[in-house]
Amino acid sequence: MTYVVTESCIRCKYTDCVDVCPVDCFREGPNFLVIDPDECIDCAVCVPECPVNAIYAEDDVPGDQQAFIKLNAELSPSWTSITKSKAALPDAEEWKDVKNKLDQLVK
Amino acid sequence: MYSPTEADAVIIGAGPVGLFQVFELGLLEIKAHVIDSLPEVGGQCIELYPDKPIYDIPAIPVCTGRELTNNLLKQIEPFSPQFHLGQEVTQLEKQADGRILIGTSQNYHFLAKTVFIAAGVGAFQPRLLNLEGIEAFVDKHVYYRVKHPEQFIGKRIVICGGGDSALDWVLYFADKAASVTLIHRRDDFKGAPQSIAKMRELCAAGKIQLLIGQITGYEAQEDCLTEITVTDIDGNTKIVALNDLLIFFGLSPKLGPIAQWGLDIDRKQLVVDTEKFQTSIPGIYAVGDINVYPGKKKLILSGFHEAALAAFAAAAYLNPEKPIQLQYTTTSPKLHRALGVKPATFE
Repeated sequence: MTYVVTESCIRCKYTDCVDVCPVDCFREGPNFLVIDPDECIDCAVCVPECPVNAIYAEDDVPGDQQAFIKLNAELSPSWTSITKSKAALPDAEEWKDVKNKLDQLVK
Repeated sequence: MYSPTEADAVIIGAGPVGLFQVFELGLLEIKAHVIDSLPEVGGQCIELYPDKPIYDIPAIPVCTGRELTNNLLKQIEPFSPQFHLGQEVTQLEKQADGRILIGTSQNYHFLAKTVFIAAGVGAFQPRLLNLEGIEAFVDKHVYYRVKHPEQFIGKRIVICGGGDSALDWVLYFADKAASVTLIHRRDDFKGAPQSIAKMRELCAAGKIQLLIGQITGYEAQEDCLTEITVTDIDGNTKIVALNDLLIFFGLSPKLGPIAQWGLDIDRKQLVVDTEKFQTSIPGIYAVGDINVYPGKKKLILSGFHEAALAAFAAAAYLNPEKPIQLQYTTTSPKLHRALGVKPATFE
């Protein structure tokens, strides 16, 4: 199993999650984070850290977010590791409650 | 190196599973030392969710992380384990004579016949301030823990964080330091309500200064920090002159050196068998969230089961000739002696 970052993170990227990851399994893209499923150890520590509730256990990913299981797996090999939090994207506040923003994802 | 402490069993990690490992070893008359990076026992139960309810401990319909820890401490009291807290295990090496050498961050050493790694998701360490170059000032003018409070008396100090550690030290130093500035990224504190109220009072009385924002830069002269830049959410900056910076961003677990101990690892978890919960090195067992095997579920109750079987395996490993009888705590006079309880009397 693994944990999965879902749509809420797109264009926000608060990065609070990366500080608590014991195994440094977060990968960073231009406007989204993913979890490397080969590294995640299912400890669940990151889940409550996310201010926009973007992280779910693989088995609990909501129905309309299922595509993100594959996206996390596909994007993690080519994105770079992020191990320390940094400032959220400048317009994160405006995007945090926006739904259906998968088209905004920059790969 | 000091001469190492010799031990039959050393448990790495004082979370619920590490504590229950003491109990299971105790019933088999094996004394244990317990090492943990945190200054108190309880592991994730205490550090992450002390007051949150747990509903899936068998026969305990509900208890908090703190209650579970306290009950376990009470349960293992008859076996008087020796705790070595506030130190991380940095070194673990099998010796030529089969014993295992363990070294800690406090330069304490053990020579153990058996080792139980109950390290959960790793050792809890302070979260660091994310500012380029600041590492050079750590333990000189930047501190993640206060060991000697007297060194800050009469100094201009800046304290960062929004939890109890930050608030407690603000209250402590308010009338002892030359100046106290508290910085938190939100105007929302997660501490004891009375501490927050006291801090607000001191602030209103002008005894301390509160700034909402994040540290985004610093100036230094030679080895001394002179000022920091604080940026608020709107991008306004403010310069604060200081001598020392105290950071309390909380703790987060890091797997750390476990990966370098030469044990078989799968996705950063220790591979064990399900008979003995032994790692790839005989005499070294792994129990609780740190281990992995087919069908593993990271539940406290699974860890308890693993601890019981690992204890029986270790007893056989320590005394290969001595047969081990399975005894019940209900009826066994031997176990009653070990537990220090009077035998049951039947009417």
